[in-house]
Amino acid sequence: MGKKRVGMIVSILLVGGALGYLALGNFGENVVYFFTPSEVKAFSTDYYRKKVRVGGMVVEGSMETYPDRLGLTFQLTDGEATIPVTFEGIPPDLFKEGQGAVVEGYWTGEQRFESNLIMAKHSEDYMPIELKRAGVELPRKDFMKSLVE
Amino acid sequence: MTIHRVIRKVQRFEGWFGGSAVLCLIAGLYLGLIGSPPDYYQGEVVRIMYIHVPLAHTALLAYIVLTIGSLWYLWKRDPIVDNMCQAVAGLSAVFTALALGTGMIWGKPTWDTWWTWDARLTSFTVLLLILIGYLMLRTFVDDPEKEARYGAILAIVGFVDLPIIHFSVEWWRTLHQPQSISMRGVSISSGLLVPLLFMSVGMSLLFSYMLMVRTQLLYLDRLLHAKKGRLLSQFHLSKSDS
Amino acid sequence: MTNLHIRWGGVCIVAIVLIVLTYDHYRDNLASLAPQQVRQEAPKGDIRVLGMVQGGTLETRGAGEATFALLGEHASLPVHYEGPPPDNLRELKILVLIGTWNVGAQVFEARDIGIVPNYGFIAGAYLLGLLPLALLLFAMTRRVHFLYDEIKASKLYEEE
Repeated sequence: MGKKRVGMIVSILLVGGALGYLALGNFGENVVYFFTPSEVKAFSTDYYRKKVRVGGMVVEGSMETYPDRLGLTFQLTDGEATIPVTFEGIPPDLFKEGQGAVVEGYWTGEQRFESNLIMAKHSEDYMPIELKRAGVELPRKDFMKSLVE
Repeated sequence: MTIHRVIRKVQRFEGWFGGSAVLCLIAGLYLGLIGSPPDYYQGEVVRIMYIHVPLAHTALLAYIVLTIGSLWYLWKRDPIVDNMCQAVAGLSAVFTALALGTGMIWGKPTWDTWWTWDARLTSFTVLLLILIGYLMLRTFVDDPEKEARYGAILAIVGFVDLPIIHFSVEWWRTLHQPQSISMRGVSISSGLLVPLLFMSVGMSLLFSYMLMVRTQLLYLDRLLHAKKGRLLSQFHLSKSDS
Repeated sequence: MTNLHIRWGGVCIVAIVLIVLTYDHYRDNLASLAPQQVRQEAPKGDIRVLGMVQGGTLETRGAGEATFALLGEHASLPVHYEGPPPDNLRELKILVLIGTWNVGAQVFEARDIGIVPNYGFIAGAYLLGLLPLALLLFAMTRRVHFLYDEIKASKLYEEE
């Protein structure tokens, strides 16, 4: 009987905890899943050395690699502000100029974002390459608009 | 009408669901794996969408059925409706877990991460926790009537997570992309849309069929236990009489 | 052989046919050579080479022409690409090139860019998505048949 009671309480706590987490707890932080470059630029010094995520569009023509080691630098923009990002390693397969990316790392005092993880953000439109080359645009929510809000 | 006849009826007509589910899934799998072009940006990995999206939407559909069933149970107190709720909760948990699993497999080659705590992924995980909690609650309450009532209340409360899941990609900044099919229009070209539709319809039919089978299973299980219990008590009674 | 077994046998046959058809469809895309193999073996005719576009080497000329170095683990190949616009080409991208190895000029002449062999993810997702559902359904159907038979056999259920 006691075991059943414990089980019942555990199950209620599980659901209650999950819903509570959703309502107030950590979910609040996850709602701001990433900052925009504008917000990053306005960071106070408290944020330096604090691990954050930044999302934006990789600026066309801004990607530069090193000839001697794996890594790259590029600019990330939200349409208003642009920040330089450095990354060591191989970027994800879908990482591309003119596409969205979310980077994780640190905003340094030198006004540069040192990232150790790049996640490629793909949009919700899907089509074969022939249509893309023909310049077909599918109706979609503009990625930049979703950033600036 | 006896339950026996209801089950006969369901059995006669569930075959249509099972059969059409298999046909839709065969068409969807053929089109999705072979008959459709790769995506301009993602390449071949886009094919994971045809399995991931139907699983995820069926998981949500299952939870909607659970909520309606729970309301219906609280209103009518019909035990077979409760059997249906219990069946659909189990299936919803399975579909939710598989949607999360296939999503992780899709995330690795596209985002380059298996998991991240963005609003969509977090709220979907919360759904799985709610369903696990629901199923645990049902195993730990002894009185069948209380078990059904508590479960129904819990399921109805948990429904708040559904709009959060749906709108998470619109309300908040997420890594997960927004809905492709919405009021704004459809942002999937026809060649990639057709396999998705076949898989989605097929998965919903498969879920309906599984729900019928599982409801029957739980009902028969209970029937057998009840009958056995009654027979046993009759046996004890006759023994004590003699 | 019951009705149940015949039906599930049919499902298994369909599944096997689909797997064979899919494998056959992608078979040609699965194999590829590494840059050092190309250098050592100098294969003739059309080949597929897997490597990464080396940083700082990509130069594009017009829409459908580019030169770069394709980096493998132990060697790299100079590549001259001429073909459809390479939409997703960039430095540090891992890709498969389709073309011929020009032994005289020591240049790989690529005419198309294949897709990174990430079919494992696709196969994994489909197996993870469908196999548990099929097993669960099979187990449930069998249990229903079993319960039904038991209720009938033990005369626990009286026809009303």
